[in-house]
Parts: sequence; structure tokens; C-alpha cells
Amino acid sequence: MGALVLRRFGALLAVLFGLACIVFVLQTVIPSDPARAMVGANASQEAVEAKKAELGYDDPLPQQFTQYLQRLAQGDLQSSLRTRNEVTADLREFAPATFELAFSAFVLAVAMGLGLGLLLAGGGRAGRIIRIFLIGGASVPAFLTGLLLILVFYSWLGILPASGRVGDNFIVPDGPTNLLVVDSIIGGTPDLTLDALKHLILPALTLALLPALAIARTLSTSLTQVEREDYVRTARSKGLTERTVLLKHALRNASGPALTMSGLQVGLMLGGVVVVERIFAWPGIGLYIDQSIAYSDFPAITGATLLLGTAYVLVNFFVDLTQAWADPRIRTV
Amino acid sequence: MTGTGPVLDVQDLHVTFASSGGDVHAVRGASLQIAPGEVVGLVGESGSGKSVLGLTALGLLPRKPEPRLEGVVLLDGLDMITATDEDMRARRGTDISAVFQDPMGSLNPSMRIGAQVAEAAGGATDEEVAEMLAATGIPEPEHKARAYPHELSGGLRQRVMIAMALSRHPKLIIADEPTTALDVTVQAKVLDLLAAASRERGVALLLVTHDLGVAARICDRIAVAYAGRIVEEGTAAQLLQQPHHPYTVGLLASRPRLDGSIAGGDLPTLPGRPPDPRLPLAGCAFAPRCPAADAQCAGPLAIHVNGERRNECHHPGVLTRWPEGGPHAGRRDPILLKAPNPVVAPAMVRGVPPEPAVVVRGAVREFERPKPFPFAKRPAPFTAVAGVDLEVPHAGSVAIVGESGSGKSTLLRMIVGLLEPTAGDVTLGPGAPPQMIFQDAGASLTPWMPIGKQIEERLAALDVPSSERGARVAATLEAVGLPAEAQTAVPRALSGGQRQRAAIARAIAVPPALLACDEPVSALDVSLAAQVLNLLCHLRETLDIALLFVTHDLAAARAVADEVVVMQRGEIVERAATEDLFTDPQHPYTRELLAAVPEIHAMAVPA
Ligand SMILES: Nc1ncnc2c1ncn2[C@@H]1O[C@H](COP(=O)(O)OP(=O)(O)O)[C@@H](O)[C@H]1O
Ligand code: SF4
Ligand SMILES: [Mg+2]
Repeated sequence: MGALVLRRFGALLAVLFGLACIVFVLQTVIPSDPARAMVGANASQEAVEAKKAELGYDDPLPQQFTQYLQRLAQGDLQSSLRTRNEVTADLREFAPATFELAFSAFVLAVAMGLGLGLLLAGGGRAGRIIRIFLIGGASVPAFLTGLLLILVFYSWLGILPASGRVGDNFIVPDGPTNLLVVDSIIGGTPDLTLDALKHLILPALTLALLPALAIARTLSTSLTQVEREDYVRTARSKGLTERTVLLKHALRNASGPALTMSGLQVGLMLGGVVVVERIFAWPGIGLYIDQSIAYSDFPAITGATLLLGTAYVLVNFFVDLTQAWADPRIRTV
Repeated sequence: MTGTGPVLDVQDLHVTFASSGGDVHAVRGASLQIAPGEVVGLVGESGSGKSVLGLTALGLLPRKPEPRLEGVVLLDGLDMITATDEDMRARRGTDISAVFQDPMGSLNPSMRIGAQVAEAAGGATDEEVAEMLAATGIPEPEHKARAYPHELSGGLRQRVMIAMALSRHPKLIIADEPTTALDVTVQAKVLDLLAAASRERGVALLLVTHDLGVAARICDRIAVAYAGRIVEEGTAAQLLQQPHHPYTVGLLASRPRLDGSIAGGDLPTLPGRPPDPRLPLAGCAFAPRCPAADAQCAGPLAIHVNGERRNECHHPGVLTRWPEGGPHAGRRDPILLKAPNPVVAPAMVRGVPPEPAVVVRGAVREFERPKPFPFAKRPAPFTAVAGVDLEVPHAGSVAIVGESGSGKSTLLRMIVGLLEPTAGDVTLGPGAPPQMIFQDAGASLTPWMPIGKQIEERLAALDVPSSERGARVAATLEAVGLPAEAQTAVPRALSGGQRQRAAIARAIAVPPALLACDEPVSALDVSLAAQVLNLLCHLRETLDIALLFVTHDLAAARAVADEVVVMQRGEIVERAATEDLFTDPQHPYTRELLAAVPEIHAMAVPA
């Protein structure tokens, strides 16, 4: 297992480097004039040139590239053109909200995927109804689901809030984690915890729905396959109950493809975050990117992209390790 | 309900699966009793319903498609046909347990061996698990208990299965082809272990197998299954020495033997195939294949019971031996095939022996091993073939035997050019390039292309003029004993034996100087295997094709080869003319291989 972790970690670094390269290439080929944007539309041509030289945009590309890597290594993502803050500082402010949302959505997606997948594989009437629901549900885009949920739970039933992280009547604590649910628990304010959770439900559900369906479908397919495996028959021949056979023998061996699918879905979710945060006015990285795009705020956009990309790669690193845990045959190759 | 009655009492069992092509009658009125502690063999060609019978007793028939069950299957008094799922579950493990065919797939790949054994035992301490493993001959049991299945060999895994099956002292173990997937050397040991363990503990055993030799080795009593019925039953000695049912005679005859009684001649074969399980049966199901069939046989079944013996033949004992030859006997006339540019080797004209089909000198093949992690030093390569010299004479026949992993297939692949040797030379003789036949015929046939087209492609590739191709395709199919309809069939539509014939047809459409066969019959039933072996011998004679034959089945080697080469760990440890090797083996490994073959003749009449 140790060698496997090392190898996967090597791959992780390589992918991150590749990501950095792609971002650099995009930055250089996309026509935009950050120097002009920084000095302002009314500044003189000389001022723009001076700013360009200062930012290093006149240097030959290889030199720009090494400088870019050096800055990255030091965690320096330059300053945002819009907010004039360090991009890292901006991200620190916005990232926790996104993390809280994405993490909840991921947990929700995996839990729903697992439950639906088991029901589906079990067949019977529940399975058939779910199957129809799955086929229909898989073609509804996230923004529509979001609007639909808002319509039902906010407009009609009025039981759940549909914008922001917390109600106006609460004072948001300052740290330590900037994850509202966690901070409010630490601070001992159950009302705030409840309110934060309520605010989480709709956006997290919107974000989780499609991934949950994909995970459920993958899981039920591999469960149906595993059901036919000889070792499942062996397990039955030992006189185990159906429940033990399913949970102890079938599920773990069927989890590989579902785990891979979960990892892939994280990518989709991180993309979906931009849309969902906008719908629910969720003050996270998605909203930050959305606003930065309007300004051609390149440092901000690349910084946020790098962060989301890194998150994606990291999640898949852990998915790989979980898979190796679930299937000992992977560990030895 | 326990007592002196049989542990398993099957009476007039019918099992039918609904399928889109009509109902599949897997079992059609089988009856079988097993007394406590008795070791019974259930023998028959594949598809005869053996496994379905075993699974019915276990209450583990697949649920989809839902099988229809009629009759009575009493497991120690409980009727497994009417019992609830929960009642049957409660009996499994404690009253009845199972050992399945494929040790690779029968153990949970993500659970440690020890945990699986403990689970089978209904909970056990580490010491108890180690004891159970040790009792089935597993070395270093404490250590192996912590291993995962993929870290053990097939033989050890099957021992683990046996340990699990024995763990709760059941009254009956169903062992379904428990050694079929194992190497010959291991087969005998696992079989003996199974028999010894059940005899010691007084556990009854139902051994399901397609190999009469395997059953003969350990069983008190043997039941022969055909088309879902038990057509003959008796003590092992009775059945082997004095079979009453012609099918039993055929099964006995088509088994290649080590005593060489068939060497040189044809292996007798059972022509034809078992009846379609979807069609209704009238009269004796074996009639279409039976040399002794007459008008009476189409009438109602004749069931004879005499003490321990029972058979369902109108003329029990009519056949004492199976008539000579298979479907190809008596058709030795030259087959209508010729090489594209017939080379009348000048050497032959001058009386000089023709050049060998292939000469191998000092062949070595290494495989790189993966690095354990990215910057590690690359481990030393694995040597699959370690310096081999070999020569196959013109139209000669050489068999390479040895257990799996001994480098046989690697050597073969180098000879036909599928692999580059790391060192050494392979020199091919004149004539069309060598062709290869694989164990899995499906692997060498294009799945979506009709057989005729595939043969035609081969002809085109070797510049046979298009005007001749149609006739050549037809002649080739005939030569390998395939019906003309096979021309338009895709591989999926053919049976295993037919697919192997089709693969052979494609390989010999333009007769190669050398036909390399990698375990060509090990996936086939005995009788089909015999037919394919005969076919290969005939093709060699009529078309002057040299055969190079890789197998772990010594009897098959004896049936086809002039010379046998024994490989172990990448090296040739013995080579000899076939007769000499079997009568007077020199190398200890050869002797071990020979001793391991389950043999009807080697069987002492059970006490
Ligand atoms: N689940 C199933 N569905 C449909 N047909 C089946 C099923 N299982 C077995 N059969 C059919 O039943 C017959 C007997 O099969 P089986 O018991 O496996 O034979 P054997 O073990 O003697 O090789 C075959 O024709 C097979 O195709
Ligand atoms: S009943 Fe007739 S056809 Fe059937 S096995 Fe006996 S002799 Fe042959
Ligand atoms: Mg079977």
C-alpha cells in the first residue's frame, strides 16, 4: 500500500503541474490586456507600457513561465484587477463557503447514490419506479432543478430559504474555520447551526442530484454484475442471510466503478458550483469567478481555476486510495 | 427427521427455465439417493443437468429466469423444493455445503482468507481457522489466513474452499467440478484430499464432473447423467468394468488413456451432440447417437433396477466396447486442399529428407517486471523461457507438456512470431507461414464475421485467386467436419467444439507448414476433445502439416504426438519419443506429471 500511495502521489504532482501549464498557456493565448485593465481605461499608452514592463509581460515567454512557476510555488497568485486584493486573500475569503457547499453536496450525492443504487439493484417495484425517475432525472440540467426546488420549497411551501448562507438576523462568527456549520457548533449557537443547515439544503441538493443519479446507475450496474459472481454464490452456500451477502460481499466488490464515478462527478460538481452559487446567491468561489469574468480579471480567474482544479485532483487521489482499500488486488499491481 | 435414511433423496426431479427460445428442460425426471457418508459421482457431458441438480439441493438455483421445479428433493428430510428461503438458508453451511469449480472466482477477492473461513464456520478464533486450514494441507496456515485470495495458487484456493465446506461438519458436500480448473499435478492431490476429508468425518460427497476418470478415482458409486436424467447408476467398479448403458460405454471409450491403447489409431468419439434441452423427448434421449439403437428405443423408457444397479436402456449391455473410429473414420481419402503454390520440394525428389518445419536454437524470452514505485530500481526480468532448443520435423508432431507457467505458451508464441525472442533463433521451414490455434477458439475468430468470410479472407491474404475461393471454403469446412451451413454462421451461433473446428478451418484453408496449437481441447468436453484431436491427426496426415502441440493433458499429448518435450520453469527437462516417455520416464518431474493423471485403469476397485 505504501508504494501505491507514493506512486499515486507522484501522479498527483504531475497532474497539478500539467494543470499549471494549461492555465499558463490559456493566459498567454487569450487576447486580453490585464495591464490596461489595471491602470484603467483612461490611462496613457505610456502608463500601460510601464505597467506591462512592471508585470513582466514584455519578457520572453520561457522567462515568464519560470517566473509564473516560481510565484505559484510561493503561493503567490498576484492581485485581483477588480478587488485589488491579493487573489490568495480573496480565495481565502470565498473558498470556505464553496467548500462547505461542495462537501455537503458530495456527501449527499454519495449517500443518495448508494441508497438509490441498492434499491435499483434490488429490483422489485421500488427499483422500477426509481429507474424511470433516473432516466427522466438525468436529463434535467442543474439550473432547472435549482429553480424547481426554489419554486416548491421556498415560494410555495415557504419552509426553506433560497439565498445566501445564513439569515440576516444572525451575526456570522469570525472563524476559526469559516465553515458556518462547524463554526456555529464550536461557538455553541445551535440556532445558527440550524439556520446554516437550512440554507445549505437547497443548493446542496441541486448540486448533488445529477451526480447522485450517475453514482446510483453505476452502482446498480456493478451490483447486478457482482450478484452473478461465484463468490456471491459461495457466500450464500455458507448460509449467510441475504442482507449479509449484499452488504459484506457484494457491495464492497461492486464499489470500484461507483467510486470512480464519484470522483468524476466531483469535476462536474465543481463546474456546477458556478451556476448554483449564482442561483442561490451563495458567496463562494463560483460567485467570485462569475464576477471576475465580467471584469476579465485574469489573475482572479486563473487563481480560482487552479484552486478548483487542485481540489478535483486531490479528491480523485483519495478516491484512488479508497479503491485500493476496497480491492486488495489493486494494491499489489 | 434425521436417522438412517439417505442424506439426499432426489425423486423424479424436473427443473425448467423459461427462456425466449422456449422452455429449457435442464433436468427431466432425475432420481438419485445418497446415503450418509457415501461418496457419489455424478458424471456426464456438459449441459446434462448435473450442476442444476446440485444447485437445487443447495437451494441456490438462479432466481432469474425463475426456474420451475417439480418432484422431491429431500435434504435430510427437508424438501428443498417447497421449503421457505429462510429454512433453506438455515440448512446451508450446517447440513449441506459446496465446493465450486473455479477457485479463482469462488472466493471474495476483497476479504482475507481467514475471515472467509471464520465466516463459513459461523464464527471462529484465529487458532481454529488456522487448524481448519492446516487440516486441508495448507502450509503456514496462520500466514495464509492473512492473505487475500489472489495471493494464493488455484490449488490452495480450492483447499480453502474445502476447509470452508467442512467447517461446520455438514452431512453433505456438493463439489461441482472441483478440480477441472486446476493443473494436472494439483488435481489429483485436491481430489484425494476431498475424498479423504469426507471419509474421515463421515460427510457424504456428491462429486459433479464431466470426467469419468476423476469420479472413478474416489467414488463408491457413480451416476451417469444424460439429457437431464440419470441413465445409469451403480458402484464405480460395476460401471467401469461392465457398463450397461451405451452412453457409459461411449464416455469410457472417448477418454484418452495413458496406457496407449489408442495411440496411433483414432480416439473413439461420441458422434453428435446431446439433444436440445428445449425440445420434448420421446423414448431414449441417447438414440440419435447410439450405435445400438433400434425401433424399440423410440418407445417408452425401459428402466431396469437390479440391487445397486440401475439403467434406462432397452438393451442393457449390448455394447461392450464402442465401435472403432469417429466421424472421420473410413474417410481417409485425400481432402481437396492444396498449397497455393504447390511446392514439390526438390529435396523430396532427390530423396533427401525435407527441411524441418521449424528449428529453434537457444531461445530465451524474458519479461520485464513492473517497478514497485516510480523511482525504484527496475527488478530483474522474469525469464519465461530459458534457452530452449527444439526441432519439429516436416509433417512431424511434437507435444510440449508441463504445468501452467512452465513457459510452453511463450515458446509457442515465439515460434509463430507473436513474440520476439530475447535471445536465440527461430528458423521456419519453407511453405505457408505457421498458424496458431488457441484454447479459446473465440479469441482467434472475428466475432461478427461469418465463418465462410473469415476463411475467404485468409485465402485472399495468401493470394488464392478469387475464382477458386468459393470451392476452397466449402472443401475446408468439409475437411474439418463442419456442416455447409457453418459458412454463413457467425462464431456466436456455433457450439464450443464447432468454434474450435472453425478456427482450425481458417488456419488450414491454406495449409501451413506448421500448425501450433495451444491447449486446443482443454476447454472442451471429453468426447468433443477426442473429435478435435482426431481431426488434427487427420489433417497432419492428409495435408503434411507439422503439429506443435502445447498441453497440460498428457493423454492428449500421447494421442497426437510422435515426440514429447517436457518443460519445467522455462527449460526442457526431458524429451523422448512418445512411447518411451510414457513407458520409461527419466526425469522426476515427468514421473510426477504422469502419476498425477486421474486414470480409470490405475483405479483399484473400491473396497
Ligand atoms: N439459469 C439458467 N437459465 C436457463 N438455462 C439454464 C440455466 N442454468 C442451466 N441452464 C440449462 O440447463 C441445462 C443443464 O445445465 P447444467 O446443469 O449446467 O449442466 P452440466 O452441469 O451437466 O454441465 C443446460 O442446457 C443449460 O443451458
Ligand atoms: S435405449 Fe436404445 S438408443 Fe437408448 S441407449 Fe439403449 S440401445 Fe441405445
Ligand atoms: Mg456443470
